[in-house]
Amino acid sequence: MAIELKTIEHLCELSKLDYDEDGMKKVMGEMSDIIDLMDEIKSFDLIYDDTKDGNEIAFKDTREDVAEESFPTEKLLSNAENTDNCYVVPKVVE
Amino acid sequence: MSAYFPTMGLEIHAELLTKSKVFCTCSAEFGGTPNSRCCPVCSGLPGTLPVLNQKAVEYIIKAGYVMNCDISRFTKWDRKNYFYPDLPKAYQISQMPRPVCLSGKVNIKVNGEDKVIRINRIHLEEDAGKLVHDDARHLSYADYNRCGVPLIEIVTEPDFHSADEVIAFIEKIKLLLQYAGICDCKMEQGSIRCDVNISIAPKGSTELGTRTELKNLNSLKAIAKAIEVEIDRQEELLESGERVIQQTRRFNEQLGETTAMRSKEDAHDYRYFPDPDIPPIIFTEEELESIKNSIPELPEQRVERYVNEYGLKKADADIIVGDKKICDFFDEALAVYNNPKAVANYILGELMNRINRGEADMENLKFGGADLAKLVEFMQTDKISQANAKAILREMIENGGSAKDIADRDDLWIKEDNDLLAKVVDEIIANNPKPVEQYKNGDQKVFGFFMGQANKALKGAASPKAIQEYIRKKLSE
Amino acid sequence: MDIKKAKIRDLRKSLDNKEISAAELCGEYFKRIEEVDSKLLSYITVTKEKALKDAENAQKIIDAGRAEALTGIPLAIKDNICIDGVRTTCASHMLENFVPPYNATVIEKLNEQGYVLLGRASMDEFAMGGSTQTSAFAKTKNPYDLERVPGGSSGGSAAAVAASLAPAALGSDTGGSIRQPSSFCGVTGIKPTYGRVSRYGLVAFASSLDQIGPICNDARDCAIILNAICGHDRHDATSARVDTPDFTEKIGQPINGLKIALPKEFYAEGIDDTVRKCVLDAAKELEKRGATLVECSMPSLKYAIPAYYLIACAEAASNLSRFDGIKYGYRGEGRTFEELIRDSRSKGFGEEVKRRILLGNYALSSGYYDAYYKKALALKQEIIRQYDKIFEQADVILTPTAPTPAYKIGEQDNDPVKMYQADICTVTVNIAKLPAISTTCGYTADKGLPIGMSIIGKRFDEQTILQVADEWEYGFVPLDVEL
Repeated sequence: MAIELKTIEHLCELSKLDYDEDGMKKVMGEMSDIIDLMDEIKSFDLIYDDTKDGNEIAFKDTREDVAEESFPTEKLLSNAENTDNCYVVPKVVE
Repeated sequence: MSAYFPTMGLEIHAELLTKSKVFCTCSAEFGGTPNSRCCPVCSGLPGTLPVLNQKAVEYIIKAGYVMNCDISRFTKWDRKNYFYPDLPKAYQISQMPRPVCLSGKVNIKVNGEDKVIRINRIHLEEDAGKLVHDDARHLSYADYNRCGVPLIEIVTEPDFHSADEVIAFIEKIKLLLQYAGICDCKMEQGSIRCDVNISIAPKGSTELGTRTELKNLNSLKAIAKAIEVEIDRQEELLESGERVIQQTRRFNEQLGETTAMRSKEDAHDYRYFPDPDIPPIIFTEEELESIKNSIPELPEQRVERYVNEYGLKKADADIIVGDKKICDFFDEALAVYNNPKAVANYILGELMNRINRGEADMENLKFGGADLAKLVEFMQTDKISQANAKAILREMIENGGSAKDIADRDDLWIKEDNDLLAKVVDEIIANNPKPVEQYKNGDQKVFGFFMGQANKALKGAASPKAIQEYIRKKLSE
Repeated sequence: MDIKKAKIRDLRKSLDNKEISAAELCGEYFKRIEEVDSKLLSYITVTKEKALKDAENAQKIIDAGRAEALTGIPLAIKDNICIDGVRTTCASHMLENFVPPYNATVIEKLNEQGYVLLGRASMDEFAMGGSTQTSAFAKTKNPYDLERVPGGSSGGSAAAVAASLAPAALGSDTGGSIRQPSSFCGVTGIKPTYGRVSRYGLVAFASSLDQIGPICNDARDCAIILNAICGHDRHDATSARVDTPDFTEKIGQPINGLKIALPKEFYAEGIDDTVRKCVLDAAKELEKRGATLVECSMPSLKYAIPAYYLIACAEAASNLSRFDGIKYGYRGEGRTFEELIRDSRSKGFGEEVKRRILLGNYALSSGYYDAYYKKALALKQEIIRQYDKIFEQADVILTPTAPTPAYKIGEQDNDPVKMYQADICTVTVNIAKLPAISTTCGYTADKGLPIGMSIIGKRFDEQTILQVADEWEYGFVPLDVEL
């Protein structure tokens, strides 16, 4: 099943990814094939029960509320464009 | 009279009073220089993992109990995905299908009438950071100190039909959370925030209208005002044949108007899914029971106790309990001087009087309940006169200090100087033959005149009781 | 000293006997790296300077007689495990200049023993791939045939160990990323039970599937490294609170009476005849040595690839959202936040990473969630049930590690579907959180390419699969790498 352009565009929006025209054409083809592969799962008909994953932990095994010393600000920001101990972000447009 | 009636539901966010953040060990305290209360985890560095704070879970369970919710025995965490520079991981850890608390109810009183507000759910999530905008340079600066501070989100059913009900509910929630010890509820610091979902429909209609969501409401005053203007705006739209668009609107307090932030049409698809880094939690009955039992006395029980055990008037008890600061102050005072009525009277009379006049505020009081208790005790046991007590209280408000130290320093103790008392009263009686005559003829009212004169002249050198007895004795001679 | 195929325990002896110093030992490996790695491309970064400091520190511990299993042992670390002060790229332009300010828990544990860091092993970008050809910096070759892929995503780790550019390495495994390259490169790699080793500091691909593990010359060395890196970690809530045994304990014990299950779907169509025969021959050999073979079935295997890719990519899409150009990583251009983030991500991520992000967001987006993501979770539960059933009648499961031996570079380019399907033998183990070890069971007759088999164990029973792998390796003569 060929995936629609508008679906891919929506996915790009959710993913914050851009493609040029050729790139878009290529990725549409690839994603169509991939989704065909994923569609095989649709013939499987059991229901998921989230209480039966068996990965839960006991309340007592959560972390005790103790505040520890924080990290040196300078080191935290060392990989970022920063000023006055803050991360620098271009203007947010809503 | 409007042809429409409004319906509202609330989403209240309250920051929990934990020592550390909800998923890392950084301090959750308010303030700090930017990014000084951060670590690789809350700054969203690659490879880091969240580890859930037990106290935050305990607090939301308490919140659930005080709002009469069902507590889930199985609860889990989800990721809410969206990009915003105040959210370093680009997802907020929250709860979707299995919140800790479900379906509660809270009683409120509005204009003398009781009403029940239903709670849809309460879930635990993490707060986001802060952005400071520099419009001139088209930049923002991100500070993640608030990132990861634990929040509970209380979602109500659409049970409100007036701003009064909304305000009464928020005040009730604030009290409940404060008394349960899980949030300090400082609206001005944003430790409790409220969004209002609001729609209007023609009177008699059984269907709800299209709703808008009001954000950026920083005080109870702003909430009341925002509701009023938004109802007006929606009415005008409907009256002029237009429709209300489902959208989020920001309240601008200066302009007194709401403006659209984004409409639901281009709303985010948050792609919630279970957070694979945080295992779900199961609670045992014993754990829940023990948390329930650790909830401190709540406002309603406290009013009841003050009335039944201390003999306070219901109205007085309501005022004291209605402000956690005053209530704690009161309890602190009783621990030192167990005379509830006298202490309550002095707090509600003299102290509140000063506060109402703006001479003092509970937030920054320079003395504690214990200090006030001593002052009341000195008055009640005739060690300090009422007039001098007022002077001492004024000094305590201005500069702090204990009643004893101030009385010592300014020589304000009642001295029981019987010689002076005799001299002064004798003089007054000698100088006022006419009132003496009146008294002897049965005019009891003039007794007050003698008391007043004596008090004035003695300046606290004798107790009111001693003065009274001596005057009575002299006049009946 | 000859470091070719040198075992950790032999190096231990040499160090403790003062036959060689820690500095000399890592020097031997750097010499070999200089000679060979320009052809092999197994390392992204070689950390010579740090290694000399590490070695100096290790030597002090050795001289003081306090040496532990890994004191002074040089290791290669996959480039997605954070090391404080050492560039950690995930083989992506996105993190080309990223220097973590903190250590992964496994690194802390290795530091406690005084290991020596040789460098950062190449990998598929963000561990997404099975060939190491999506690496932005070092597209590693197969040491047995430089025209072939080393497998992936831990291809750099496996190739380095196979070619003796490191005695052992750490890799990570989300859907076969330790086992499949181990198989392609003729070495031994174990993916521990989910939760056995802390993930703190491992740059996440798919959090519910990722697990760090060792790639070594044999099972015994794997056990030695596993001993050092396992255990509950307060920084990782998914790390298990279980006892940590001595993983070498059962090694050398006979496998008499041990039941080995052979699920028929793993030997069906799609598996190379050579591979199938090689693994079944090994099974017969193990039977001769006392094990019992058990036939069984895993009907849900046919859904495993979509289930795996839906879960893994959904988690990846969310995990990789944090790369926005603001806090770290490639910062693109843009006058607004929106422009900057789009530019950073579009230029910073490679094509395979982008495809998986798109797929993940597809699986999670409103309208598709129930049909894809939730269905995949249902399958996960079913696969776990089917494994549980098999383990009712067997102690371990034996399967091929990959459907084919190492393939030619470029052969699977431009065909993501074919690439995904090649993971069929390994992904269910991650889905079911089980431990599995891949060891070489033979070589192709014509080209001498390694063929790997996987031994899958019950949850937290690494000991038994290590025992079986060691039993097999006893007397098995690996083919030399000629480089």
